[in-house]
Amino acid sequence: MPDPIHQFEVKRLVPLDIFGVDATFTNSALFMVLSVVTIVGLLMYATRGRALVPSRLQSIAESLYEFIANMVRDSMGEQGMKFFPLIFTFFLFILTMNMLGMIPGAFTVTSQLAVTAALAILVFITVLVVGFAKNGLGFLKLFVPDGVPIYVLPLVSIIEVISFVSRPLSHSVRLFANMLAGHITLKVFGGFVVMLLSAAGAYKALAPLPLLMATALTALEFLVAFLQAYVFTMLTCMYLNDALHPGH
Amino acid sequence: MTEPGPGATPPKGQMSPEDIAEFKRRATELGGRIDEVQAEKQAEIEAQQDKAMRGRGMALGLRMSTELVAAIVVGSLIGYMLDRWLGTAPWLFLVFFLLGFGAGILNVTRSFQRMQDEITRETGGNIGRPVANNDDDD
Repeated sequence: MPDPIHQFEVKRLVPLDIFGVDATFTNSALFMVLSVVTIVGLLMYATRGRALVPSRLQSIAESLYEFIANMVRDSMGEQGMKFFPLIFTFFLFILTMNMLGMIPGAFTVTSQLAVTAALAILVFITVLVVGFAKNGLGFLKLFVPDGVPIYVLPLVSIIEVISFVSRPLSHSVRLFANMLAGHITLKVFGGFVVMLLSAAGAYKALAPLPLLMATALTALEFLVAFLQAYVFTMLTCMYLNDALHPGH
Repeated sequence: MTEPGPGATPPKGQMSPEDIAEFKRRATELGGRIDEVQAEKQAEIEAQQDKAMRGRGMALGLRMSTELVAAIVVGSLIGYMLDRWLGTAPWLFLVFFLLGFGAGILNVTRSFQRMQDEITRETGGNIGRPVANNDDDD
């Protein structure tokens, strides 16, 4: 049976060493560059005409903008639009990496915990910096809910702090685990097809069953790829909202 | 002009009894077919909504489980590190494990609350009923 984990192996393409820091260009980095090129290329090409009546591609770019802009406004209000560039970048970057990963033989960057963790930590640090810069020590109100009697407040505060600190972990693990599990399942079912076809006699007739499953799973994976990019962006908005309005 | 008998042409602007009967039959048939098509369309819409809700439910379920587990892991880790620092093993680990569990429950309740608010906004308070589709008013 083909190894289902093999697809997640990070390969060194161009070894590079900058002052003792291992900056090797890997297949992971290659696909990140590819997704950035795809995004920038597509958006530049889509908006080159700037027509009043948009072309098909331009209307896709416009509805992408609207989609994220509405999400930002809904969760943070008008002042949240300051973070629009960050959130738009997050959404497109993750979505494109997820979608590129759906191409057979491609590397799924978001199935690496190191990558999703870096993204989640970036969000976490942004929340901390913005929270303290905007509200000063008032940001700590986030850990003191309203209407809690003073004698249970220490306990509640500790729980709130743990809840807050657990955010980057759940934020990164969710994206990583969804992509990893989905791709492993696909590979396993694909492997079943090959195994059954190479098996003796009557087992060959069973081969279409896992193939059918793999087809259905591919459709589901496309949904997951979009949904996880959406969820990651949505949660980023919510966390940033906490930084802007720590009162509630 | 002959006197009007059965099957004869009725006076202008009126229908013969046969025509009326025929018309009624056609009208009821048409009505029946419209009802059929509408029921079919309604079932389709409901099936689609059901599917969408199920997909959303699955995404939410996965989200809840990570929320819970992440808080427990972080809580336990804090406890473990405090234990190593203060040399109080295993007591702080146990305490923070429970606190982490509490934080996990808090995370889950919050996400659930948010989801409920969202659905309430969409359905106008009718939680548990399919969202009305007011594209065509009939």
